[in-house]
Amino acid sequence: MIDGHYLLRRIGYSGAAFFVCITITFFILHLMPGDYITNYLLSLSHTIPQEAVDQFYQQYGLDRPLGEQYIIYICNILQGQWGYSYQYGLPVFPMIMQKLSWSLVILLPAVLLGIIIGIVLGAWSGWRSGGKKDLALFNIMIVFRAIPEFWWAIMAVWVFAFYLQWFPLGGFTSISVLISGLNPWDVLYHAILPICLMTSFVATGNYYMMRNSMIAVIGEDYITTARAKGLDERAVLWRHALKNALLPMVTMTTFQVAGIIMGNVFIETVFSWPGIGLLTTDALRMRDLPLLEGIFLLDALMTIGAMLAADILASYLDPRIRMGDQ
Amino acid sequence: MTRNAFLWISVAILALYFTVALLAPFIAPYGATEIVGAPLQPPDRGHLFGTNDVGQDIFSQLVYGSRVTLIFGFCSALLSVSISTCAGIVLGYYGGNIDEVVCRILDILMPIPIFPLLIVLTTFFNPGVVQVSILMGVLGSIHGIRLIRAPALSLAETPFIEGARSIGATDLRIMSRHILPNLMPVVTAKFVSSSQHYLVMGVGLSFIGLWDTMTVDWGSMIQNAYSSGALSLGLWWWILPPGIAVVGISLALALAGYSLEESFNPRTEVNRI
Repeated sequence: MIDGHYLLRRIGYSGAAFFVCITITFFILHLMPGDYITNYLLSLSHTIPQEAVDQFYQQYGLDRPLGEQYIIYICNILQGQWGYSYQYGLPVFPMIMQKLSWSLVILLPAVLLGIIIGIVLGAWSGWRSGGKKDLALFNIMIVFRAIPEFWWAIMAVWVFAFYLQWFPLGGFTSISVLISGLNPWDVLYHAILPICLMTSFVATGNYYMMRNSMIAVIGEDYITTARAKGLDERAVLWRHALKNALLPMVTMTTFQVAGIIMGNVFIETVFSWPGIGLLTTDALRMRDLPLLEGIFLLDALMTIGAMLAADILASYLDPRIRMGDQ
Repeated sequence: MTRNAFLWISVAILALYFTVALLAPFIAPYGATEIVGAPLQPPDRGHLFGTNDVGQDIFSQLVYGSRVTLIFGFCSALLSVSISTCAGIVLGYYGGNIDEVVCRILDILMPIPIFPLLIVLTTFFNPGVVQVSILMGVLGSIHGIRLIRAPALSLAETPFIEGARSIGATDLRIMSRHILPNLMPVVTAKFVSSSQHYLVMGVGLSFIGLWDTMTVDWGSMIQNAYSSGALSLGLWWWILPPGIAVVGISLALALAGYSLEESFNPRTEVNRI
């Protein structure tokens, strides 16, 4: 079972990583020309009386020494107080959480399907590496991946939504929502195209890693041994090659999934899908720093958490990792 | 043979892009932000790719925009790969306590997502193209250090390094003359793949509005056209040229990257049963 010492150390590193992120956002907020309160109040009204500024200073604890403010800031972040958006004047944390649920409508099916498709294709391709079919698929994947995500999205909108008119041009629901209320089928109809695109991006990433992992495994001695024993090819593939090739995928896939949020920004922007990605673009155009910091913290939290989970899972599945680490 | 052909084709395409970027003032008939004709004119002899919504010549914008895009992609890749190479070699060669400490720090920094961080930092500093690419290079180098450190570590243990040391070569000389040349294949492949990655990322960041609207580059051209509804109005000449330009250089870099990787590391290519 998992070594407690190892587990503690991994959790310690993850905590330190998030701590670094909080420190970065704290210093950015405090190095800002002007300060947070003045900027925030200015975003609400054009003239602000000095008394109001002083009162807010005291209320928000900005008159205290920097060290004390830092501790208060960390406590606030841990309690879900992530500051207020300049643009909307609303607390950042609930705003992000609400948008996150919309993003997950696209991300969840896309990630699950993408991982499965990528692994199956990658395993197939790696098992036949060097063959004509493998090279054909590999070259298609290179070309697919070299074209930027937002360009695929724009082209998909152009072909499927504008010319063929199979799908809507963007948004998450039809105008009929005003009469009949939010209809899940309608949302799904709007989500199909973004989900398909996102699935293919996740699948290509996993395809590469699975193919490489498979090629590395095929070269190992135990595969030669299995063949020498007289096992038929199918048994070698299923029982020996595939299981070992899948092991590194646990960690690699997390790296993939962690990077997906950025890809999602482009998809959501092109399709005007009201998730985290569109919120990021919106906040970036308006230079809404507290909101962007909130998005960064959330992204950091998700990435760090996913990597921690992957590390624990990998060491649980593969005892060699723990042995090597000590 | 075919891989080699791919490599040369992509080198030729890259050379073409660089020539265009270098000779931009001689190639472009108009300035990038100059208003030179009626808005939304389709392509004709006077305007090779037509004009956009305020009557700027799209061909000229495309030519000048190549500068911003290429500077961002290649500067950040060069910086990031240089930092990772230097740090990786020093860590791998000296090993010991420095290596231990830096690796622990890297462990902590690795999971921090770079792109949201980059967006936050650029919103705060509001810098120009060169500064953002420097920022990108520094942040991106974290992931490359490990990649260089591992082979440097095993090279430092080899007999020929020991031999070099025994005839009195200084550490600096060993690292630059003996270890670095042996790592060049890895470094080159990393540089090519990073430049593709950063270039596409730069266009993407500009597409979602990283730079002010006055900076003309391919990302902001696509963004302008897309948000003004160029697709649904059928104004293909407005949105296709910058997109095809991005796709072209990205494909060239990707093919070059894979050909290099395979020629340096034949194991990935053919492993027939």
